Amino acid sequence: MPHLAEIREIIDESPDTRTFRLMFKDAGTAESFDFKAGQFAEYSAFGDGESTFCIASSPTRKDLIECSFKVYGKVTQSLQRLNVGDTIGIRGPYGNWFPLDELKGKNLLFIAGGIGLAPVRCVIENVLDKREDYKNVSIVYGARSVSDLIYKQEIREWKSRTDVSVIVTVDPGGETPGWDGEVGFVPAVIEKSAPTSENTAVILCGPPVMIKFTMPVLTNLGFKDEDVYTTLENRMKCGLGKCGRCNIGNVYVCKDGPVFTYAQIKKLPQEF
Amino acid sequence: MSFKMEEKIISKDDLLKLCGDVIAKGHTLLAPGIAEYEQVKDVSQIRLDSSALPTKTSYKSYVFPKAEPILYYKRSKSDVQLIDVDVNGKKIVVLGAKPCDTNSINILKHLFNWDYEDEFFNLRQKHFVIIGLMCSSFDEYCFCTSVGSSPVSEEGSDLFLIPINEDKFALRIITEKGKEFIEPYSEFLKDGDEAKSNAVLESIKKPEVAFDSKQVHEWLGDNFENPKWEGIGNVCLSCAQCAFVCPVCHCFDLVDEDYSYSEGRRMKNWDGCQFGHFTLHASGHNPRDIQSKRYRQRVNHKFRYYVDKFGEILCTGCGRCSRGCPVSIDIKEIVSNCKD
Ligand SMILES: Cc1cc2nc3c(=O)[nH]c(=O)nc-3n(C[C@H](O)[C@H](O)[C@H](O)COP(=O)(O)OP(=O)(O)OC[C@H]3O[C@@H](n4cnc5c(N)ncnc54)[C@H](O)[C@@H]3O)c2cc1C
Ligand code: SF4
Ligand code: SF4
Ligand code: FES
Repeated sequence: MPHLAEIREIIDESPDTRTFRLMFKDAGTAESFDFKAGQFAEYSAFGDGESTFCIASSPTRKDLIECSFKVYGKVTQSLQRLNVGDTIGIRGPYGNWFPLDELKGKNLLFIAGGIGLAPVRCVIENVLDKREDYKNVSIVYGARSVSDLIYKQEIREWKSRTDVSVIVTVDPGGETPGWDGEVGFVPAVIEKSAPTSENTAVILCGPPVMIKFTMPVLTNLGFKDEDVYTTLENRMKCGLGKCGRCNIGNVYVCKDGPVFTYAQIKKLPQEF
Repeated sequence: MSFKMEEKIISKDDLLKLCGDVIAKGHTLLAPGIAEYEQVKDVSQIRLDSSALPTKTSYKSYVFPKAEPILYYKRSKSDVQLIDVDVNGKKIVVLGAKPCDTNSINILKHLFNWDYEDEFFNLRQKHFVIIGLMCSSFDEYCFCTSVGSSPVSEEGSDLFLIPINEDKFALRIITEKGKEFIEPYSEFLKDGDEAKSNAVLESIKKPEVAFDSKQVHEWLGDNFENPKWEGIGNVCLSCAQCAFVCPVCHCFDLVDEDYSYSEGRRMKNWDGCQFGHFTLHASGHNPRDIQSKRYRQRVNHKFRYYVDKFGEILCTGCGRCSRGCPVSIDIKEIVSNCKD
């Protein structure tokens, strides 16, 4: 049974990506809904079905649950038609999470592309709320064009802090006349900034091509596959390890994932 | 679990009387019909033929329906109201279940109960009483003996019938549930002779073992990439008939179905991993974009992944998928070929 939640605020992040800030209708649920950075939920637009999105807000900021979604098909179009005050359903939280406790005392390098910033943002905010537990924090975020960048408000906040380094880049040709960030693909930007791999964990989310071209760069910089965390997105329905569609070999992404290290991913049958 | 089997004898006439009583009590009595397990309305319908081949479908749909509502919703302006579904756990007695069907619910129990417990499945299966019947014939598609079962397997039955002669059956009480069910009918039961019915079981011809499931498990682990998959993929139509007739395939879809502007229900419907859209992402990316990958998933899921996760093969060897395949893909042959 999904929990009902009210849309309190809608933020248009980019022409095709929208964020909902959601409040559970039942006070008890709002209190007890506990999740960790990296987990996902099933969001219902009643009448059209459910869609899987990560929980984009941080567990350290529990007043409103947030999700950001890119408008594609049936369910996401239906969600897009909803207004502030309307009701949606939430089932979850499901799946595993980023092992933030194990990463204490390390440098963290966040790399995100496009909508991939949604799961990463949750971790970033969680880390910033416990800033003293971690060493250097750097963020590299890229999108196709300036208008495709999501979380512009949050990025401004991160940039205003002195204890975080933020690089934002757009693909060549995606810049606007006033653009003050980098221009270039994410892997190239990382290569140029050459972050240290010493005692550093990477949290990497984005489109498969970006991951494919970023990995060799990271390897050259001395990062080990075990230290690179990413998420897999397989089509899901139940989120409960039953409906049978999210598996890669005997790994069920909805239960054993969505968070994996690159070393784990390499060992899976290459079918995702 | 440690229930001690009891051996009884029941005459065919008394067995039919018992069935009549089950129907009179308003329970659902299922028995193999021509094409499927049918609801018996009158005992004259009952055949109890141990030499019949498996029906086209199993009784899986009675425990895991083809389409079932899991919640109802009502929308008004910006509000939504959710209404729970009341699963009526009616007693269902299956009479004359084939040994290649009797264990199916046990195999599926693992899936529907790991981590999250599926209340719909559990409530239904709790009210099932399975009366198995020894199987005395097989065709070229049967291979129960290759997946650790046999035509005389009592696995999954609450009560088990062995024809002794034209009008007598040995009746074995296998589980506590079976004992509870049969207790009110104890007047029909006489003490049986285990040695005698064992002799019947031994005399039954059984399909030859076609493959070693342990070796298949191992081969699959080493041969995710193998040109053999491509060969099968070229033949298969992606129609998923094989999944729908299978007693243990369990993939499903969750979809909303409006039946008026403001009301509707969320449905859990059967789905099949052989369909191209099964794993299709909204972005257009598809991890199993071609049929060879989907058939590879089917075989791996049954003979490797399920074994790794739950310790059982997701196949009872009933041969239904092969009998019904429009392009004659024979799973026994394919799995037997899972070797170098
Ligand atoms: C763990 C996880 C986290 C995700 N997080 C986000 C996120 O934060 N933001 C975001 O925009 N997208 C995210 N996605 C992808 C998102 O689920 C799909 O883009 C979305 O479901 C598409 O729905 P649709 O109705 O537009 O598409 P349609 O094609 O109309 O989809 C119909 C159904 O297919 C399913 N489906 C289709 N594509 C996918 C997919 N790639 N993954 C899972 N289910 C799919 C949905 O269940 C949906 O009900 C995530 C996916 C996963 C698996
Ligand atoms: S029934 Fe035959 S053709 Fe249809 S999906 Fe199964 S194997 Fe392929
Ligand atoms: S896979 Fe085929 S042979 Fe095995 S149980 Fe299913 S239908 Fe029967
Ligand atoms: S989403 Fe249903 S099994 Fe993973």
